[in-house]
Amino acid sequence: MTSSRPILAAANVTKAYGPVVALRGVDFAVAQSEIHALLGANGAGKSTLVKALAGVHTVDSGSLSINGSPFACKAPSDALHAGIATVFQDSALLPDLTVSQNLRLSRTDPVVFQRWLAWFELAHLQLADLVKDLPLETLRIIDLARAIAGDPHVLLLDEITAALTAEQAERVFSFLVHWKERGRSAVLITHRLAEVLRICDRATILRDGQNVALLDTSRVPASCHGSEDLDEHTLVAAMLGAAQHQQATAPQEATTGNRPQGAVHFEVKQLGFEKRLQNISFVLHGGEVLGLVALEGQGQELLFDLLAGERRPTEGAIIIEGQVRRFRSPADAVAHGVALVPGDRQQALLPSLPVHQNLAAPLFNHPAQWLTLPRHEEAAVHNAVDRLAIDTRAASQVRRLSGGNQQKVAIGRWLVAGFKTLLCFDPTRGIDIQTKGDIYILLRELAADGASILLYTSELAEIPLVCDRVLVMHGGRIVDEQDAAAATESTLLTAAHGLEALA
Amino acid sequence: MTVATSRQGLKIWIRELGRNGWILGIWLLLIMLVVWYGSLIPSFGNFQITSISKNSLPLVYLAIGQAIIVIAGGIDLSLGSLLILANALAARHMDEQGLGMVLGIGLALILGLGFLNALVGWIIHVSGVPDIVVTLATSYIWSGLALWILPSPGGGTAPEFRWLFTGSPSGIGGTYVMPLSMMLIPAAMVFFMSRRSHLGLSMYAIGSDRATSRLAGVNIRKAKIASYAIGGGMAALAGLATIAITGTGDPRFSVGAMATLNSIAAVVLGGVALAGGSGSVPGVVPAGVILIMLNPILSAMGINPNNVQIIQGVMIAGVMMIGTHGTEAGQNLMKRLRFKVTHHYG
Repeated sequence: MTSSRPILAAANVTKAYGPVVALRGVDFAVAQSEIHALLGANGAGKSTLVKALAGVHTVDSGSLSINGSPFACKAPSDALHAGIATVFQDSALLPDLTVSQNLRLSRTDPVVFQRWLAWFELAHLQLADLVKDLPLETLRIIDLARAIAGDPHVLLLDEITAALTAEQAERVFSFLVHWKERGRSAVLITHRLAEVLRICDRATILRDGQNVALLDTSRVPASCHGSEDLDEHTLVAAMLGAAQHQQATAPQEATTGNRPQGAVHFEVKQLGFEKRLQNISFVLHGGEVLGLVALEGQGQELLFDLLAGERRPTEGAIIIEGQVRRFRSPADAVAHGVALVPGDRQQALLPSLPVHQNLAAPLFNHPAQWLTLPRHEEAAVHNAVDRLAIDTRAASQVRRLSGGNQQKVAIGRWLVAGFKTLLCFDPTRGIDIQTKGDIYILLRELAADGASILLYTSELAEIPLVCDRVLVMHGGRIVDEQDAAAATESTLLTAAHGLEALA
Repeated sequence: MTVATSRQGLKIWIRELGRNGWILGIWLLLIMLVVWYGSLIPSFGNFQITSISKNSLPLVYLAIGQAIIVIAGGIDLSLGSLLILANALAARHMDEQGLGMVLGIGLALILGLGFLNALVGWIIHVSGVPDIVVTLATSYIWSGLALWILPSPGGGTAPEFRWLFTGSPSGIGGTYVMPLSMMLIPAAMVFFMSRRSHLGLSMYAIGSDRATSRLAGVNIRKAKIASYAIGGGMAALAGLATIAITGTGDPRFSVGAMATLNSIAAVVLGGVALAGGSGSVPGVVPAGVILIMLNPILSAMGINPNNVQIIQGVMIAGVMMIGTHGTEAGQNLMKRLRFKVTHHYG
């Protein structure tokens, strides 16, 4: 399976962004007709390696080769000419152009492209539609079909499955198997370890910009579930390093026996918005982490918008410490101690400003502080940086931090500003396991200090780890409430589909 | 089968209408202004059409060039100065020459200034200095050169050359066929280049999102330089039109500065987003004509010429505000219509 001469190889590659070293002498090789997984925690250097192979970044030292001959890649167009097509983490389609204009721009044959669209069950797509009018998952498939239509030797896929529905992801995986059978190669970055074991031949694991393991994943017996589980854990252990693996599960001990004790901080009565949200009622006690679970698109985004003052409810009331409040704006909500950590980190952060100013931003909300620096600013910011263990090597611009550290900054801002109720919308999406663990511990500590927290999460496994109670939303309504410690993925999923639990 | 096809056709038609709502609106505004102007003066005919179209030529050319540069994500403050540089060079060298020589000089100016501005585009790309800074600097340089070539208003050109742009060898009266075709032929050429060629698409792409264009394999440098080359060529054409209309050269800095500002006004009015990546030539052409038409309309209404600029400013701001909201509402309407056609027919 893994032939001797690699079709695409990187040897001893290093790459630094200013003071941040992303790759420290990484070796990587893809063989003919191989699906090669590239794994690692966030910030391990996976995306940087893919960008180096795709010609987006030039490497500082080390060499790239194609079929054994050295390959100098200065721009993405060079890589495309050499038969390396990439689907990047962010869509490479131009929003102001139509799909067919995008195809002409990259000189893609529309006939071949549409044949591949049909493979992914998108044959009905109108090529004259503007890209900005299409949903994200469709764009990912268009990106992929465009990359394949160029008939490359190697396909680099950076987190393509994250935005896709389960069925679409399954189509992509079955495509990869077909692709391999045609003698082509692919590099796959994904967080779905089960699929790695199922379809990949080998896995290169990076940590801190260095190789830590090269595993042969094709020998795992697919039928034997026991050993498969074991191997997923092996992969995770390799990504994290042995010592840190403990941390991800640590908060479980903090949770046990932690029942809501405090007074009611935040209460929602009969909240509704047009017909999309109806009859939402719940209470949040001080010292409590309340989980919220829903399938995609059940109105959870809208609910968070209402709670954070971004939109006004058409029915019902938000009651804070016994007083009915009508938020005119998010600033109004913040003034009443309700802070939001939005799902999209880019929306929360000031990407070109340093960590320090990002953390201190809410301190300047009051006009009395526009002319003078708040006295406690420096101390509060340092306190937050220490408490969150934010990696400040790239502190001069927040956009250079890894995703996990950006999320810490987004939460840390409210540690500096102070809050009573924290609304977290999927704070751990796309974050490595170690940082996830840090965030779980942080949320529990905040609750222990008396704050109340509403946590929407798309990872059901988080609920028993972090929450006290959990609400389940379906079709714009709260359909179930469960005790978090007793909730399992199966009970939550059943309720999230709007089904009654089986006796 | 026929029902399905006609429904498909209707959907495409509605979509195009929704996307080009702004352009449609600006053409309607132009038609309204022409009708209004016709009702203000005793007789409206050949003379007025000729006069408006020939006087619009320099601004329309400049606006087309500016539109292409803005679409590709830049902005050029030196286009007006390139106009007076071309004007000064033409006035100096075309004076008392035969038609062949004059045409040769004209062509050389278009190619030469195109190349000169391409060089500016290359400098912007390589240096990474913002477009607005580099072109502000070059606008002083080109104006200085124009003054050096033609220290005071003067010079001239061949009568046949004046006929080419104005439809009359003396620049007075004549037929509107010449100025209208001189306006529409270059506009159509640039339009088809920008919409149909790979290079034109690349310009829209880099103006829409540079980083994404790079990922898609677009040659950013080539698109950037080409957009500036077209801007330079159109500015030269504007300078040639100016000498054809006035019959002499005028190297004053203020003429160029005013022309630059008007070109930006026409681009904005024509529906090109200053952020780049959207808009197109067919919107900019009527916008340029509208800005020129305001002068005769307001004087026909008996408004003090000193107040004309105030009214121009109020009109631009008003049209932009009404237009922005109107286009949004129109686009939503078109989306609903498309939805209805998709789901409720057949």
